[in-house]
Amino acid sequence: MAQEVRGEFYDLLAARGVTRRDFMKFCGSVAAVIGLSEVYAPQIASAIAAGTLQPALWLAHGLCTGCTESMAQIGVPDVPTIVLDLLSVNYWETVMAAAGTQAEDNITATVDKGGYIVIVEGSVMTGQGGNVLRIAGKPGVDELKEVCSKAKAVIAVGSCAVDGGWVAGDPNPAKATGVQAYLAQNGIKTPVVNLPTCPVNPEWVVSVLVDYLLVGALPPLNEFNEPKSLYSETIHDNCPRRGHFENGEFVQFGSADQTAQEAAGFCLYQMGCKGPQTKTTCPLVRWNRRVSWCVESGSPCIGCGTADPLKGGPGNWVDAGTPFLSRLADTRLPGIGGVQPSTIGAVVGGVAAAGLVVHGVVSASKGRIKGVPQESEKKFDSKNKSSEGGDK
Amino acid sequence: MARVAIDPITRIEGHLRVEIEVDSGVVKDAWVSGGLYRGMETVLQGRAPADAFYIAQRICGVCPISHGHASTMGSEAALGIKIPNNARIVRNIIEGAEFLHSHVLWFYTLTALDYVDVVSALSANIADTYALAEKAGTTTADFGAIQKRLAGFVKGGQLSIFTNGYWGHPAMKLPAELNLIAVAHYLEALQIQAQAAEIIAIMGGKFPHFMTSIPGGTSWVASEQRLADVLFRWQGVSDFITNTMIPDTLAIAPFYLEAAGYGKGVGNFLAWGVFDDVSMDPKKRVMPRGALTGLTPFDPKPEEVTEFIKHSWYDSGDNLNPAKGETKADFTTYDLNGKYSWVKAPRLNGKPMEVGPLARMLVAYVDGVAPVKALVDGALGALSKAAGKKLPPTVLVSLLGRVAARNLEAKVIADAMGGWIGEMVAAVKGGDSKYFVEATQSDGQGAGLWEAPRGALGHWVNVSGGKIANYQVVTPSTWDCSPRDDAGVRGPMEEALVGTPIADPTKPLEALRIVHSFDP
Repeated sequence: MAQEVRGEFYDLLAARGVTRRDFMKFCGSVAAVIGLSEVYAPQIASAIAAGTLQPALWLAHGLCTGCTESMAQIGVPDVPTIVLDLLSVNYWETVMAAAGTQAEDNITATVDKGGYIVIVEGSVMTGQGGNVLRIAGKPGVDELKEVCSKAKAVIAVGSCAVDGGWVAGDPNPAKATGVQAYLAQNGIKTPVVNLPTCPVNPEWVVSVLVDYLLVGALPPLNEFNEPKSLYSETIHDNCPRRGHFENGEFVQFGSADQTAQEAAGFCLYQMGCKGPQTKTTCPLVRWNRRVSWCVESGSPCIGCGTADPLKGGPGNWVDAGTPFLSRLADTRLPGIGGVQPSTIGAVVGGVAAAGLVVHGVVSASKGRIKGVPQESEKKFDSKNKSSEGGDK
Repeated sequence: MARVAIDPITRIEGHLRVEIEVDSGVVKDAWVSGGLYRGMETVLQGRAPADAFYIAQRICGVCPISHGHASTMGSEAALGIKIPNNARIVRNIIEGAEFLHSHVLWFYTLTALDYVDVVSALSANIADTYALAEKAGTTTADFGAIQKRLAGFVKGGQLSIFTNGYWGHPAMKLPAELNLIAVAHYLEALQIQAQAAEIIAIMGGKFPHFMTSIPGGTSWVASEQRLADVLFRWQGVSDFITNTMIPDTLAIAPFYLEAAGYGKGVGNFLAWGVFDDVSMDPKKRVMPRGALTGLTPFDPKPEEVTEFIKHSWYDSGDNLNPAKGETKADFTTYDLNGKYSWVKAPRLNGKPMEVGPLARMLVAYVDGVAPVKALVDGALGALSKAAGKKLPPTVLVSLLGRVAARNLEAKVIADAMGGWIGEMVAAVKGGDSKYFVEATQSDGQGAGLWEAPRGALGHWVNVSGGKIANYQVVTPSTWDCSPRDDAGVRGPMEEALVGTPIADPTKPLEALRIVHSFDP
């Protein structure tokens, strides 16, 4: 379905200082992210540059606006390309010109015409009869049901839209939930793709959009409705600090050597890094036009890509991961069993011992706050069997 | 008499509804309603102070750095932690980068469309546009290519985010050429705000939502390479603010001088202050702590802050100081005579207080902070020239002043940031390797009183046995977007809306300008 790229498209890019070469390079990277060879770059370019714009509605629910902010932190394609050349985003509260009645009219007109996709940012807010979020004088969930039920596809961006995120953190005072679960409960069958992390990584959003424009369908999804190409390998698998993990070289917070350890890029595992149980491509795609990412800045991963869209999994990332700076799950609530702090402390201390089998660490529990999921053996490890030490 | 509801208010962070009563083309009364309750304060209870740093910043995706810092400072105050000097500098640079990011984003992406008619830019004469840019002392771009691009886009008929905007509205006053310049800079600003955010990514992992300013200091460690990466990005952003944003502001302002005549608000100002110097004294911050009634200064006392809930959907104690605050959601119905907002009504010693860049700049101006005084006096001089009469500092207490104050503050902070980067370089060269200290106690109560780009921010933290026993936040938008208090006194934004001229009640563009001037 490759169409010829409009010549004027490149003029337009050039006006913003983006060369044809830059653009093709971007398309190549999109291809890689969605699991295609780079030879598909020209098709991707034509999907972006040719034809009628795909209508889209970006809905703001129980949000902090961080996912919209994150979209503004993308490199190529830049934001104008996304909203002017890739999609016709007829509703996007944070950036649209219209307000009030004029803004609401844009939703009505787009829904009446049909053929649109929906992007949801923020948790689904069901507390107080749905009145914990009021939009245009009504509960926000009314809008969500109406707009999603007639959409071709729904993209839930950021952990809040995926499973309620921190807003659903215990005791979930506003009764927040995720889009997929909410639509299912209301008998709405529109396909949903989930893109967790807090906020969403903009490159993942664009890759899903481009994929959709290219083949007219959502990418292959895993059991959490996440694109397999983006959420299959753990952060630990691809972490640049991984070598230090293998060597048992860790940053020890509060120790006299902390600064030197961090300057040397030692592993943050002992600080509670959730990289071993969090599956995203953060170490590869990075953040903010790829300049850095959490672990590179000296912070352990806090597992914000942990998703539990249909509940019954690990719980939202806040309940699954706190206390973040510890390898121990939160024991403040009743009903949690199986936590063995002393064992784990010993294991982490004695790295050379064969201990790090436990590196998913805490066993699952039946409490309100679920234990982090146990890891299965990873590809790296099965390929690199060793008899002593390290990660097995 | 016409009743107009603007819901949703767009180009803001979060969910807001504004209702105005318009009579003879002027707003006579106004109600501001916050539409979202998430329950952060409740979610944080029982968790560790370090967890609060990571979670509480997610209150706001536009100003997570400020919330993260206020949370961490609240925990540090509660646990008696004194952070190393390196951590102070690192936090200043990260916070400064967020302010620059936010002010650029606000002016060009969020509020410019209230003043700039994108469609009018199509009829600009290109040669005249270059001439005007030169006269205004602002930067140029490939205006011809941008106009061509815009024309192609409009011809395509799918206007995307520009659909149904207020194009051709009688309150749009700029000549076509200035509209085109502004559209060019609207596009450029998207790159600049991202460049500012990259500084945060380098020092904090990513933006929005960052990772390193945990209670006790920072987990980031400086190196010469990393500081060079920060330095050149700061330089680019700083150049844009000096050579584009400030000249644009001064070029646009003369067409909207009438905006100096309304949007005054409550006339009380509060700043907790932001950007510590080595003394860690809030009164010596780059933007110092202080409060004003009119232009008369007084010391704001945190214990005199209370929150009223008569008009807010809560069922908890009324008129409580946040150190003892409660948050129990209880939606009843939307009733302008009763409860009509998820926002509480904070008051200082019973008075509504405007917070934000205007408050900070006025506090600093009255305090005699040299760079602020020079910039404000310079801008007043330029505006006086345009108005043909001498304008006093009080003219800043207006819609025009609120917009100008934010852009001028960006320049103050950009300049100060160069100094912090220099301090960090000196620390690295001097071999100071202390970035973090551990807490020695696990109980206590404290408050992190700081500033977000949009105004005074407080996180009140009560820690017991190493876990959070109570947590209360008073955000800038809680101050500015507050509903009426128990005495029926309007909040700052409500008050600022009263007296605003409205040319067309079906398209209340002028009211949007007032709302956006607070950057809610």
